[in-house]
Amino acid sequence: MKEMNYKHVKWVALVGLMSAVFACKSDLEVEPIELQTIYQVFDRNDSAGVEANRFLLDCYRFLPTTGNRVGGDFLDAATDDAVSSNPTNTSVQQLAMGTYTSDNYPDNQWASYYQGIRRTSIFINHIDRVPLKGKLANGTPFNRVWKAEARFLRALFYFELVKRYGGVPLLGNKVYQLNDNIELPRAEFRECVEFIVSECDAVKDSLRTDPFDLAFYERPTKGAALALKARVLLYAASPLFNGGNIDPQNPLTGYTDGSDDRWLAAETAARDVIEMNLFSLQPEFRDVFITRNPERIFSKQGGNNTSVENNNGPVGYSTGVNNGRTSPTQELVDAFGMANGLPIDDPESGYDENDPYANRDGRFYATLFYNGAPWLGRPVETFEGGADKPGGTKQQTKTGYYLRKFMGNFETAVNYSNVNHDHILFRYAEVLLNFAEARNERLAAPDGEVYTAVEQIRERAGLQPFQLPAGLSKDQMREVIRNERRKELAFEEHRFYDVRRWKVAEQEFNKDLSAMTIYQTGTGVIRQRTPVLKMNFEERMYLAPIPFSEVIKNPQMTQNPGW
Amino acid sequence: MKRCIYLLLVTVAAPFLLAAQTVVSGVVKNNEGPLAGVTISEKGGSQAAQSDQHGRFRISMSRDRNVLVFSSVGYTTQERTVSGEEEIEVILQSNVQDINEVVVVGYGTTKKLTSTGALSSIKGADIRQIPTANVQNTLAGRLPGVVSVQRSGQPGRDASDFYIRGVSSLNPDGNQPLIIVDDIEYTYEQLSQINVNEIESISILKDASTTAVFGIKGANGVLVVKTRRGMAGRPKINVRLESGLQSPVTRLKFLNAYESALLWNEAIANTPGDNTNQPFSDDALEHFRLGDDPYAYPDVNWYERIFRPASFQRNSNVDITGGGESVKYFISGGTFSQDGNLYNFENNGDQVNNNYYYRRFNLRSNLDVQATKSLQLRLDFRANFNRINEPRAGNIVGEVFNFNKIRPWSAPFLNPNGSYAYAGDTQDLSPTINARLATAGYRLDRRNDLNILVGGTQDLEAITEGLSLSARVAYASVESNGREQARDNLPVYRYFPETDTYQLKGGAPYVLSPYTLRAYQGDYNSRVNVQANFNYVRSFGDHQINSLLLYNRESYNTKGDKQSNWIPQNFQGFTFRTGYNYNEKYLIDVTAAYNGSDRFQADRRYGLFPAVSVGYNLAKESFMTERFDFVDLLKLRASYGIVGSDKVRGDRYLYQQVYHTGGGYSFGETHQAVGTIYEGSLGNSNVTWEKQKSFDVGLDLSVLQNRFSLVVDYFHNIRYDQLVTSQSLPLNIGVGVSPTNIARVRNRGVEFELNYNDHIGAFQYNVKGVLSYFKNKVLFQDEPAPAFPWLQLTGHQVNQPLGYVFDGFYTEANLEQSAKPAGGYEVQPGDLRYRDLNDDGVIDEFDRTAIGKPDVPNTSFGLTLGGSYKGFSFNILLQGTTGYSFSVQGSGIEPFQSQFQPIHQQRWTPETASTARFPRLTTNPTTINSPSSYLSDFWLIDATYLRLKTVELGYQLPDRWLPFKINNARLYLSGYNLLTWTNYSLYQQDPEVTSNTAGDAYQNQRVVNLGIQIGL
Repeated sequence: MKEMNYKHVKWVALVGLMSAVFACKSDLEVEPIELQTIYQVFDRNDSAGVEANRFLLDCYRFLPTTGNRVGGDFLDAATDDAVSSNPTNTSVQQLAMGTYTSDNYPDNQWASYYQGIRRTSIFINHIDRVPLKGKLANGTPFNRVWKAEARFLRALFYFELVKRYGGVPLLGNKVYQLNDNIELPRAEFRECVEFIVSECDAVKDSLRTDPFDLAFYERPTKGAALALKARVLLYAASPLFNGGNIDPQNPLTGYTDGSDDRWLAAETAARDVIEMNLFSLQPEFRDVFITRNPERIFSKQGGNNTSVENNNGPVGYSTGVNNGRTSPTQELVDAFGMANGLPIDDPESGYDENDPYANRDGRFYATLFYNGAPWLGRPVETFEGGADKPGGTKQQTKTGYYLRKFMGNFETAVNYSNVNHDHILFRYAEVLLNFAEARNERLAAPDGEVYTAVEQIRERAGLQPFQLPAGLSKDQMREVIRNERRKELAFEEHRFYDVRRWKVAEQEFNKDLSAMTIYQTGTGVIRQRTPVLKMNFEERMYLAPIPFSEVIKNPQMTQNPGW
Repeated sequence: MKRCIYLLLVTVAAPFLLAAQTVVSGVVKNNEGPLAGVTISEKGGSQAAQSDQHGRFRISMSRDRNVLVFSSVGYTTQERTVSGEEEIEVILQSNVQDINEVVVVGYGTTKKLTSTGALSSIKGADIRQIPTANVQNTLAGRLPGVVSVQRSGQPGRDASDFYIRGVSSLNPDGNQPLIIVDDIEYTYEQLSQINVNEIESISILKDASTTAVFGIKGANGVLVVKTRRGMAGRPKINVRLESGLQSPVTRLKFLNAYESALLWNEAIANTPGDNTNQPFSDDALEHFRLGDDPYAYPDVNWYERIFRPASFQRNSNVDITGGGESVKYFISGGTFSQDGNLYNFENNGDQVNNNYYYRRFNLRSNLDVQATKSLQLRLDFRANFNRINEPRAGNIVGEVFNFNKIRPWSAPFLNPNGSYAYAGDTQDLSPTINARLATAGYRLDRRNDLNILVGGTQDLEAITEGLSLSARVAYASVESNGREQARDNLPVYRYFPETDTYQLKGGAPYVLSPYTLRAYQGDYNSRVNVQANFNYVRSFGDHQINSLLLYNRESYNTKGDKQSNWIPQNFQGFTFRTGYNYNEKYLIDVTAAYNGSDRFQADRRYGLFPAVSVGYNLAKESFMTERFDFVDLLKLRASYGIVGSDKVRGDRYLYQQVYHTGGGYSFGETHQAVGTIYEGSLGNSNVTWEKQKSFDVGLDLSVLQNRFSLVVDYFHNIRYDQLVTSQSLPLNIGVGVSPTNIARVRNRGVEFELNYNDHIGAFQYNVKGVLSYFKNKVLFQDEPAPAFPWLQLTGHQVNQPLGYVFDGFYTEANLEQSAKPAGGYEVQPGDLRYRDLNDDGVIDEFDRTAIGKPDVPNTSFGLTLGGSYKGFSFNILLQGTTGYSFSVQGSGIEPFQSQFQPIHQQRWTPETASTARFPRLTTNPTTINSPSSYLSDFWLIDATYLRLKTVELGYQLPDRWLPFKINNARLYLSGYNLLTWTNYSLYQQDPEVTSNTAGDAYQNQRVVNLGIQIGL
């Protein structure tokens, strides 16, 4: 009995020891409590909406950018306006030469925009939980404004997808979870356009109105919503989608019919922006891009820096970094007419082949560096062996030109200093050109309103005289407008899509691009036009391929024709 | 009457008997010093003795006997004819296949005789023969089931990657074996810091029966290390001093300026439209050829001028062991030092060492204390400190390959006035390598490891016989930091021979600027482990029972990414194991672990991991003992069980749905960015550990008194619930998703281990062969159906490379009708032609298919030959692997990215079209000829190799030569990676390099090492 007791004591002690071990509880939290849940982001007690605002700001990060964004190059280096200076095979070179497949489309933004769409939808679905107190001066409560901003962003993200791919899956407000069926089919092109337009209409009166407090500059405004609507409708009315569908009976790639009413819709939408009377052309063309001014309708903040200068400046300057990434083509140079408004092939123009850079359209000097252009206190030297085209393995211009647009005015400066490099997504000049194009297409012959819109652009450019000859036919006016778009909007990511939507890429993007090779000799200057890159374009390239991975993952996903 | 005869006999025989006895005395050793506990008996007689702790023995022998037999568990029995000599010296050779040997397994030991699991082991003494810094590099070719690849030879960063039974998981972190040192989990890095001198033995646990005790961590196999402990007796001091020379396994060869310039010109001529590279004139070529103008036309072999042919390595160890009944100790200290392979470019006046190097200092003290009659305590302490130094000048070993950094003609080694030059013809105009090595500073990483273990074992015989309770607490910490002395803008000049003038590089200062000091905080982590277990070992007649019940808890803290900062990773669980055998004939083991990890959601943390194994030793059956008595062991065994792996990728909290803070965004005139918040990857609330069904069947055979033995294993594992990111989710979901437990991989293979040892007179020899073969196959990985069946990866091995199939060069004849690459590149004769698998006339990514093999070998073999004659001994290991492939890309091989190498001279030209081994040269880096743009089986090389991995020749000095109190001395010469047979030499790479890289890793080293070991 005694023996038994002893044994019991020991066992009890052991069990006690074991329980003590188990009773140990960590004093530290076992999960990272500093990370937030959705209920903390959209907090029912956060009347200032601090966290919700931060979530909205994240959605803004998905806004498209411009500049050296495609593998370090401008998207425009994939058009006939420029080539990349990079000696290796770059993304834009692949775009220019059509050497891509559905698996490696160089400007594949599918995932990124759907991320943006998801985040805006989360915001839209949850912002009403937050008891925001603030109001705009006009009385609109903040949660309506913020929700409208998110819807505008989402509409813009859809537009970025539609202009690349045609119809894409429309998700509405739904935020998909793992156990949902995510194998969604593409919506028709028509539905996508209607969705974007209806969103713009729905939010336009809830957004801020221009002009407003600078602290909120670059939030979307009513003007931005209307400008987006105008651009969407212009695209929808354009030949590629309206009557020129590359797969005529395929509602995903465009309308299955053609209708001039679509031009009217585009014209009206552009007119709505003009008639707001809030925007005007900045008198000095160069300043449009480096100052905050009434021509800007919507932009994404790019910061004050010297990024454009560093990326694209002529390579021979030792002040700062100059990578000379962009080489504009002779074709773009030739597109710029003379200061007297006449194209260079007009016998009256006064163009001198031996002094080709004299007396050109003012935008020429604001857009390009040519051999002899002033920069940082000395002329740019793009002749063979010149400071800015020294030869060797270094990256340098392939064409004899460098990009000048978007840079600060450093013609006589010693050094670069910080310049505003916002990504301008909508500006008034484009709206005027959209208006002129749509109205010209709708009418049998251009009328005064078309002339006025185009001439405003030409006047600001400093053309003397800026007036167009009277009595231009619809076709002649179309050529004028297209040329003005090319000059005015160069390097703003328009031409890549304009040429496609006009459905003329098989001509425009299927040719040899030229460089100007300049030799400085003892007796003078010899200029030679030499081929630099052969662009290739096939019909299927009018629309970007749906990413290969999406098509194989999702049986509902229809690939674009030809891919 | 009987008694009378007896008495008579005794009386008559007594003087005779006494006179017939001789006394023999001497010493028994192994190759590390005196051996205690060796049984010495006379052959055919009855006399026996045991050696004492100094190896000394004394035995009386009958006059008519003259052979002594020396035997000890774990050693080959040796016979020695005694012929009058009074003092004899015997050196025993260890015998790995002794069936009575005890080997270490998880939380205990097992006897080879009664073990039912798949395991292999090696003694510390055997791996100390190998002159390398860490344990990982000693395993290849010696242990069946282990496959290892040494990716780099950089001092301090040269530990091999190793896998047990190959690769089973698609989760890249999910294949690392669990490492257990004295029952405590170590990381891979911690293991590589261990001094081999401290190791008693290493075991590899391979099947479910042996790894199930580790439950949720057991699926990748387990490496168990036991450190040495003290032995009672007078203090024994053991000193090992080694000094060696390391040299790269292969000395690289680059073409000189003239040869390179010819190829340069050829490539430019081959590239129409290249107006950025200028060919050399005939005049320049002539200067290169003659080398008559070394400043205007430099010709520098940077490799030869930067890398020395050999560098030093030193290893010193002292250990002392001894003690009495109450305290026993083993104390060891060691230093290891490995120099780098660069010449010294010391800059006058500063004392910095910019070379690569590694220094390590190890200290260990293992104490055993008999506190009371029934309570034993242990206190282990280990510390080590190491330093790894690297030049700050950049990746020097890669730069000598890199054509864009420097070329033979880029600059003279030094300008005539002694100033440094720079590579004026390259994009970044960087100063020459020697200029930067001399002046650009260094990066030094320091790391301190500390381990403390306190434990005790209480005998509980009072409760019942055979029961004991042990408990231990262990703490391990790692702290590391870095220091950098940096100098960037160097005064470098360009020399103009025609005017004898110097021009400073634009923007460079005229004098050296002072160094900039930077400090880095590296790892900081700690691990606390608490264990308590009951042990019950008892025999009831023929029934033997061996049981364990263990509680284990571990907490690991690390300063990692922000998320896991100092939140401990916790693990806890129970393990139960019981083994039963009947007369060592019928064997059964049952193991179950119930444990969990907090990487998973609270209600899904714990899992049960059971395993059962059985064995049947036929050699104990009477029909065997009667007819085949030469069979010592014939054991069939089989095991089956489920084990787990809790390695998750990246984020530890995969089950949580969290919102992260991201980059800022700003509005307005002023740029004051506000932090943003975004939705993190969709949480997977069902996340759980990977599981593996392991089946193993094996045979252990030992015959002729253990002279010959064979171990064969076959295994078949299914790893399921593997944590991989779903690939089939459309991107429209707009958010990342956490990995889910979906993938499944099968892995199976066979292993052989064969031993033979015998002697011819006093010459003892042993042969050991090891072969392992594994093959895995991805059964399911949620791969969307690809466009063409040949693009599918499911069904192939893990990490199967995809690429193009080489189909001969393009020729004038086939150019027209052959498929051509997509894109603007116009192929020419001499370009690599690939098979157009989908027959669309275009070579694009749809024409890729499975080529070659993954870069972890699936077959590995080793052959060890050892022998000894008196004091002389040798040991040779031939090791090899096959069943894997690698390719080199970029600066390792591609023209105009890589220096010109001999392989480039075998390029395709119209004249050499039939013998070419390299495509035609162009300056365009992204053509169809580029392995980084178009990986193909032209570039993927079968990486089979055979190595003379280690050789050791030793001589143990006879005792009579030893002065003072030295009781043992041994001299030895050892080598590592001495010879290699492989086809890697075409690309001047080591076959163990990581595939699809530039192949510019620090070369693996060959070591020749001389050592002396002294016992006091």
